[in-house]
This record gives sequence, structure tokens and C-alpha cells, in this order.
Amino acid sequence: MATNREQVLQIILETLHELGEDLELPELLTADENTRLFGARSALDSMNLVNFIAEVEERVSEDIGVDILLANQNAMSMTHSPFRKVASCTDYALTLINKEEQAAEA
Amino acid sequence: MSRIACITGTRKGIGRHLANHLLAQGWTVVGCSRRESDLEHPNYTHFCVDVTDEEAVVAMVRKIKREIGPIYALINNAGTASMNHILLSPKKSYDRIFDTNVLGTFLLLRECGKQMSRHGGGRIVNFSSIAHPLNLEGEALYAASKASVESITRTAAKELANYGITVNAIGPTPIETDLIKNVPEASMQALLQRQTIPRFGTCEDVANCVDFFLRDESAFVTGQTIYLGGVA
Ligand SMILES: NC(=O)c1ccc[n+]([C@@H]2O[C@H](COP(=O)([O-])OP(=O)(O)OC[C@H]3O[C@@H](n4cnc5c(N)ncnc54)[C@H](OP(=O)(O)O)[C@@H]3O)[C@@H](O)[C@H]2O)c1
Repeated sequence: MATNREQVLQIILETLHELGEDLELPELLTADENTRLFGARSALDSMNLVNFIAEVEERVSEDIGVDILLANQNAMSMTHSPFRKVASCTDYALTLINKEEQAAEA
Repeated sequence: MSRIACITGTRKGIGRHLANHLLAQGWTVVGCSRRESDLEHPNYTHFCVDVTDEEAVVAMVRKIKREIGPIYALINNAGTASMNHILLSPKKSYDRIFDTNVLGTFLLLRECGKQMSRHGGGRIVNFSSIAHPLNLEGEALYAASKASVESITRTAAKELANYGITVNAIGPTPIETDLIKNVPEASMQALLQRQTIPRFGTCEDVANCVDFFLRDESAFVTGQTIYLGGVA
């Protein structure tokens, strides 16, 4: 069965909550779809963004069982980065996961 | 628990020696090469993975974490060479050399680096060669690929410093492995004469540098390439 958006959102939010605890960043403890992941108004600096992305990739691989790479040529672009907000990051990860799942079925 | 080292190209040559060397020191070693390995040791696991295959590299690095534990040291040893006059070198050689030496090094560095960044740091050791600083005739593509490896080593050292990861490289002189078995004897002797210490290197010489880069005390050493044989 194809993974749904809710599952991916949950992985992303859990990752942010844990990062928030580790790094003592209260903004991340209350993270939701509108939380910014990248840019001046984000709680994550570029170093923690890398950690966040690596953790999401690994959780997707462990919980959903598909290997995705969130590396993206627009990752660090202000206007096009899929990591601008939790919502866009969720959509982006879901697209990659569904693509892998379809390939596995075919 | 012992620390985990991932070494590429462990089926034979220098990689094989390094695997035995670290196993003897008590490391847990994970190795890979395209073909099966007959190295057997309770703390050794082999993956048949081509370092140029992104999907396979990603799957391997994640499987190591799941089933064995987080990687602390990456030894990016897998490499390939070919001797030819530059005017006679086919694009096929270019692809094979750059794919194995540069792309392979990059993919492993990226995947292991992400893992190390979340587990308190680590050590990455890449493989250059004296063919680059000596601008060896007949090795244009190989030397260029190793120049790229050195460049990646220096830049990655900067980008990964904050995560407690050091990135360094070793530039061996000729060592008698299959890699150089087709180089004519006369060219080899001429090459050895260009070194400060004119002899073949040994796998032990390389292992000594690896030990230095992996030591806890080397946490302040990064972005460096050590050439053997006194080549500068
Ligand atoms: N020997 C020298 O004189 C010398 C001098 C300077 C630098 N170096 C460097 O030292 C490193 C090791 O060289 P070596 O002399 O030990 O070479 P080697 O004897 O030819 O061994 C190469 C190893 O790498 C593996 N390998 C090759 N392509 C691979 C790929 N695409 N994916 C995964 N594994 C791959 C091979 O196993 P499979 O065939 O099963 O894949 C083998 O285990 C290289 O980076 C080389 O450039 C060597």
C-alpha cells in the first residue's frame, strides 16, 4: 500500500521534536506544518538542517522501508528549496517515497 | 563495543591489508568490492557493492547502521588506474577512472558523513596518489582524478569540521599490487628515482598513515594529504 502524507508528516515532526529536545530549541518542540526549516527565520541553522535531513532519510528507510535521498539541487535556494517549510518538505519526501514504491511494484 | 570502520575495495590489494590491520586492532570492519571476498573474520562483513552505484551505496550504508552500528571511520580506498598516452586515452577510461575514484569517493563520503554527523563525529580517509603532485606522464586521467579527490578532501574538511568529522587523504607511491602490474619495469624504476626515498611503498606504510588519521589524538588534523616516500 502506498505511504500516505500523514505518515511522512509524523516522521518529520517527530524528528523535529527530538532535535528540539537535543538542541534545546523550544520552537521545534511545537513544530507544525508551517514551521520554517530553512532561511533567516528558521530555528535550524544549516548545520542542523543537514542533521535533520539525514535523520528523516534514515527514519524513512527504517519505518517505511524505502531508501530515499532528500539531497536536492535547490536545497539551499530561498525560493525553490523543498525545505522551506515542514509542509513543502513533507510533500517532497512523499513524492520521492511514492516514486520508490511504484518502482518496486513495477 | 568496538568502533566500526567501512573500507572500500577490500577484496585485494591495499584495502584487503587495511581490513586485516584494523581487525587485528579490534575494530569491527565492513568492507565492499564488486566481487566476493574470501576474507573471513568474526568481526568482518563483506558487501558486494560497486562504489559508483548510488542506490547500492545508500542501501549499504543504511544497512550497516541498522544491523551493525554507526560507522566511525570511512576508508575510501577503492580505486582504479590506467596507463596511457593522453592522446590515446579513450573516453571509456575517463569514465571508469572518474566514476570509481571521484564519484565513488564522493558517494561514500556523503552517505557516511551524514551518519557520522549524527553520531558525534568520525574520520574519513581518502586515497590520492603521488601521480598527482609528480604530474606523471602516462597517467593524466588518473592523476586528474586524484587531484579531484584531494580537492574534495580539503573542501569537505571545512564543511564537516563542525560535526567533529576530519577528512584527510593519503598519497601512496607505487606499491606492488595488481593496480600497477602492467606498468613497464623501466618506467617504474624511473618513477621510483623521483621519490625522496626511492623504493616501493608497502601496505604497512599506508596502514601507518591510516592509524595516524584515525587516532583520537588526531582530532585537530584535517584537510591534509600525506604523500609517502618524501614526495612533496
Ligand atoms: N598500488 C599502488 O601503487 C597505488 C599507488 C598510489 C595510490 N594507490 C591507490 O590506493 C588504492 C588501492 O589501490 P590497490 O593498489 O590496492 O588497487 P587494487 O589492488 O587494484 O585493488 C582495488 C580494490 O578496489 C576494488 N574496486 C575497484 N573498483 C571498485 C568499484 N567500482 N566498487 C567497489 N570496489 C572496487 C577491487 O575489488 P573488485 O575488483 O572486486 O571491485 C579491489 O579490492 C586506490 O585508490 C589507488 O588509486 C595505489
